[in-house]
Amino acid sequence: MRGSSFSGIRVFVFTAVLLCCIASSCTKQYARPYEDLKYPKLGDIEIPDVERLTLANGMRLFLVEDHELPLIGISARIRTGSIYEPADKIGLASITGIVMRTGGTVSKTGDELDEQLERIAASVETGIGLNSGSASMSVLKEDIDTGLAILADVLMNPAFREDKIMLAKIRHRSSIARRNDNVSSIAIREYEKLIYGPESVYARHTEYATIENITRDDLVAFHKKYFKPNNVMLAVIGDFDTGEIIKKIEKAFEGWQKADIDFPDVPKVQYEFKATTNVVRKEDINQSNIYLGHIGGVMSDPDYFALIVLNRILGGGFTGRLFKNIRSREGLAYSVFGLYSSNYDFPGIFYVGCQTKSESTVYAIRAMTEEVKKMTESEVTDEELALAKESYLNSFVFNFDSKGEIVSRLMTYAYYGYPEDFLQKAKENIEKVTKADVLRVAREHLKPDKMQILAVGRPQDFDEPLSVFGPVHEIDIAIPLPLPPKQ
Amino acid sequence: MRHAIRRLSVTVGATILLFAMAFLAPASLLAQHLAEFEQRMTEFTLDNGLKFLVLERHEAPVVSFHTYADVGSVNEVLGITGLAHLFEHMAFKGTKTIGTNDYEAEAKVLAEIDKIYEAIKAEQRKGLQADRSKLEELQKQFKQAQHEAQKYMVHDEYEEVYKLAGSAGFNAYTSWDATQYIVSLPSNKIELWMLMESDRFCNPVIREFYKERDVVMEERRLSIETRPQGRLIEEFLAVAYKAHSYGIHVIGHMSDIQTITRPEAEAFFKKYYGPANLTIAIVGDVNPQRVRSLARKYFARIPGGPKPEPVETVEPPQIGERRVSVEDPAQPFVLIGYHKPGINHPDNAVFDAITDIIGMGRTSRLYKSLVKEKKIAVAASGFQGLPGNKYPGLFLFYAVPAKGHTHQECEEAIYEEVEKLKAELVTPEELTKAKTRARAGLIRQLDSNSGLAAQITFYEVITGDWRNLFTQLDQIDEVTAEDVRRVAKEYFVKKNRTVGVIETTAAEN
Repeated sequence: MRGSSFSGIRVFVFTAVLLCCIASSCTKQYARPYEDLKYPKLGDIEIPDVERLTLANGMRLFLVEDHELPLIGISARIRTGSIYEPADKIGLASITGIVMRTGGTVSKTGDELDEQLERIAASVETGIGLNSGSASMSVLKEDIDTGLAILADVLMNPAFREDKIMLAKIRHRSSIARRNDNVSSIAIREYEKLIYGPESVYARHTEYATIENITRDDLVAFHKKYFKPNNVMLAVIGDFDTGEIIKKIEKAFEGWQKADIDFPDVPKVQYEFKATTNVVRKEDINQSNIYLGHIGGVMSDPDYFALIVLNRILGGGFTGRLFKNIRSREGLAYSVFGLYSSNYDFPGIFYVGCQTKSESTVYAIRAMTEEVKKMTESEVTDEELALAKESYLNSFVFNFDSKGEIVSRLMTYAYYGYPEDFLQKAKENIEKVTKADVLRVAREHLKPDKMQILAVGRPQDFDEPLSVFGPVHEIDIAIPLPLPPKQ
Repeated sequence: MRHAIRRLSVTVGATILLFAMAFLAPASLLAQHLAEFEQRMTEFTLDNGLKFLVLERHEAPVVSFHTYADVGSVNEVLGITGLAHLFEHMAFKGTKTIGTNDYEAEAKVLAEIDKIYEAIKAEQRKGLQADRSKLEELQKQFKQAQHEAQKYMVHDEYEEVYKLAGSAGFNAYTSWDATQYIVSLPSNKIELWMLMESDRFCNPVIREFYKERDVVMEERRLSIETRPQGRLIEEFLAVAYKAHSYGIHVIGHMSDIQTITRPEAEAFFKKYYGPANLTIAIVGDVNPQRVRSLARKYFARIPGGPKPEPVETVEPPQIGERRVSVEDPAQPFVLIGYHKPGINHPDNAVFDAITDIIGMGRTSRLYKSLVKEKKIAVAASGFQGLPGNKYPGLFLFYAVPAKGHTHQECEEAIYEEVEKLKAELVTPEELTKAKTRARAGLIRQLDSNSGLAAQITFYEVITGDWRNLFTQLDQIDEVTAEDVRRVAKEYFVKKNRTVGVIETTAAEN
C-alpha cells in the first residue's frame, strides 16, 4: 500500500472567484463566502509498510519504523479478560493485570523495576480489561534492550508478591467505596446493568466480597492459563531497524513455550426489547443524568456502515440533531449524546442521554425520545446525509496521520478477526449509503417505543413524575457491606 | 458508553501537569531538536499586531491550527464572572456572513432583544415593588423577539462548514489565563481556516446568547455543583485568594451567568480580542510563504489596537493558615496549596524539579510514603500551574485517602514529606532522574501537530518566546539540592498555606 494516494472529496469546487471583497472591508457582506474557495488537491498519504510476522513460538508481530523521534514503543494484546473470571471473584483479571507489573518478576521486585525504569524515563505497564489484556513499553531508543527485557520478564515470569496484591486490593476496595461519588459513573454503570443484566459479564462489577475471595494462587493460575506466546500480539513502532528489532524480540522471549488454551464459554447476550422506567435517587444534586435506549449491535453486521451515517446525523458531535436541538435550540444541557454503538465481538448499547437540571428532566426525556422517533419516521434530509457522509470521507485522512495509530488499528482488527482492510471497506460502504438506507436501518435497529429509561437525580424536583412513562423501578445503589474479617 | 461531548470545557488543571513536564536537560540531542525546529519555524507579525508561528511538519497531509487569546477568567470582575468562558461558547455562533441569511435584519432583532432584556432587568431590580404584569409582558416580548431572531439564523453553519471540510478536534477551552480555539484540517483546506477564523475575530455575531447562557449553567451544574471535587476546587480558590481574580473559578458564579447581557459580552470581546492580544500557531503540512500571504489577505483586515493592560491586583501575603471544607456524602479528599511566583520567576524550575521528586511516578516520595508504605492513600502527588502560570499561582499537594483512612492522616503524611524537603537535601539520583525525565517528557510531546501548536503558543505568550519550550532546560539543569531545600523552606510554610478537604457527612458503608 505504500504511496497509495487518497484525494479528499472536494466539496466546494467552483470556478475560481477573486476574493477581493474579503480583503477590502471588514464589514462588507457576501453570501456564503467559503463556497468560492478553490482547494488544491490534497497531498498523497504515505501509508507505511507494516511488517507482519509470526515467531516460531506463535507470537504475532506488527512492526513499523518511525524515525521522526528517538523513541521506541511496544503495545501488546493478550487474549484474556474479565469475561473469563468466575462470578465470585470479580476483579481477578484486573488485579492480575495490575500485580503482574507492580508485584515484580521472579528475579526483581516491583519496586526495583520502578527504580530501573523511572531512572531512564521509561515505562512498562500491564492491565487486563473486559475482553483483552494489554501491556506496553515506552523507551528512548538507546534503552530498548532494558525496556524489552523488562517487558518480556513481566509477561513471562511475574512473581505476584503478596505486598502488592494487598495494595491492588486496597485500590479496588477504595474504588468500590467511591463508586457513588460521581453521578455520571453511577448512570453509566447502572445503565449497562439494565441493558445486559446485572449478572452479565459485560455489566457486572466488583464488590468487597468478590475482592476478598481472590487469592495469590488465583492470580498465578489466571496468568498461567492465558499468558502464552501464541496468545500474544505485539505492535512495535519507533526509531529502529525492523530486522534488528525482530532479532531482539525473539531473544527476549526465548524459551517461552506455546501451549493450547482452553477458553471458558462466555454466555451470549440475550436481550428482550421492553420499555422500562428506572430511577436512582441521589438527594444531594440539582441536575439529572438521563439515559434512554436498548441493546446495540456488532461491527460485522452489514448494516454497520449505514448505522455510522445514522449516528453522525443523530448524535454526531456539534452538528448532530441531539446537539442542535437539545443543546443549542433548547439550552437544556451542556452534555448531550447519542449513539448506536457497535462492538467488535458482542453487542453494544443504543443510548441517548444528557445531563439537565432536575426541573427539566421529563421534558428532556420527551425531547430526546422525539429525536429517536423522528429517525424512524422519515428520511433524513439531503443536507444531513451529505454532511454525515462527506465529513466522514473528508476527515478520512486523519486515520493515517500517526504511524502508531495505523499499526495498532491493524493489530486490533487481527485480534477481533476483522479483515485488515476493514477501514477501507467501511469507507467504500459509507460512500454508498442512501437516505433510504438510513431510514431502513433506523426502523430495523431503533425501537423508540421500547426504550429503557434511567434517570439519576432528585425525583421530587422533577418537572413531572417519571411515572408518566410507566411504572417506576427504583434502583438501590447502596454498597453491600464488606464481610467481617476472617480469623 | 463514554461518549459524552466534551466541547468547550473549562480546563481545571489536568493539562497543567503536561506543562510542568515541559522542561529538559541540555542533552545535545535537544539542542539539535531546537536547531532543527528553528529551521522549520517561520515567525511573522502583521501590522495590526497579530503574531503567527508556522511550523512545518510534513509527516501527513494534515495541519493543526491553534489560536491563543491572551484573555481568561483572570480578566473578569465581579458581576461578569464566567464571561470569558461564555464568550468562548459564543465564538461558535457565526459571523455577519456565516450563520445568517440577512444580517441587517437580524441585527435589528438582536438589538431589540437586548433592549427588552434591559427593561426586564430594570423592572426586576425594583424587587418587591416590581410590576408583575409588566414583567410578564416583557418576558413574553423577550420570547417573541428571540423567536423572531431565529428566522434570520442559519443554524450551526459555522460548525457545519468545518465538519463538511473534514475537520478534526474542532474545539475551544477557557482557563484562568487564556482562551484557546483549535481545529485540524486536511492540509489543502488552509484557506478555509483563514477565512473562517479571521471572520470569527473580525465580524463575530453573538447570537442565541440567552440559550447559551442556559447551556453554561448546565455546565456549571455538571462540573461543579454535582461533583464534590469540583465544589472543593471552587471553595479552595476562593479561600486561597482574597484579592486576585485567580480566586474565582473559570465557570463563574451562577448569579453572574444568569444576568450577564449580550452587550456585556460584546464589550468584553472589543476589549480583549484585538489582534495584538492573539497569537496563532499553524503546525503541519504547510508552505510558510503561502501561509504568510493568506494570513495577510485575511487577517490584515482586522483593525489593530493596543494590547489590554494586565491584571494589576497583587495577592497580599497570607497572615495565617487558611482552611476550608466541603461537607458531602462523598469519600474524603485533601488539597493543600502554597502560594508561589508565576512561571517566569527563577524559582519556577526548582518547583518543576520538586514536582518530579515528590509527585511523579511510583518512585516519587509521596507515592512511596502514602500509597506504598503507609497504605493510607490510593493516590498522592504534587504539582504547580493551578490556577494559572501567568500570575503568581499555587504549588499544590493532594491525596485521595484509601478506604477506611482519613484526610487528616493524609495531610499529616504530606507534611512529613514537606518537612523532609526542608530538613534534608534531595539525593543526586533524584535530581538526575528529574532532569532525565524532563528531557524524555519533552521528546514525547513533539510528535503531534495539535500538541506542538498548543505548546509553542503557550511558551510564546506566557514566557515571551516559544524557544523556552526547549531552553527552560538550562534552568532545570542548574537546579541543585540546595535550591530545593531553600525553596521548600521559603514557600512551604504554614502561614503561606491553604488546606481544603472533603468532609464525608453520612457514613456510607
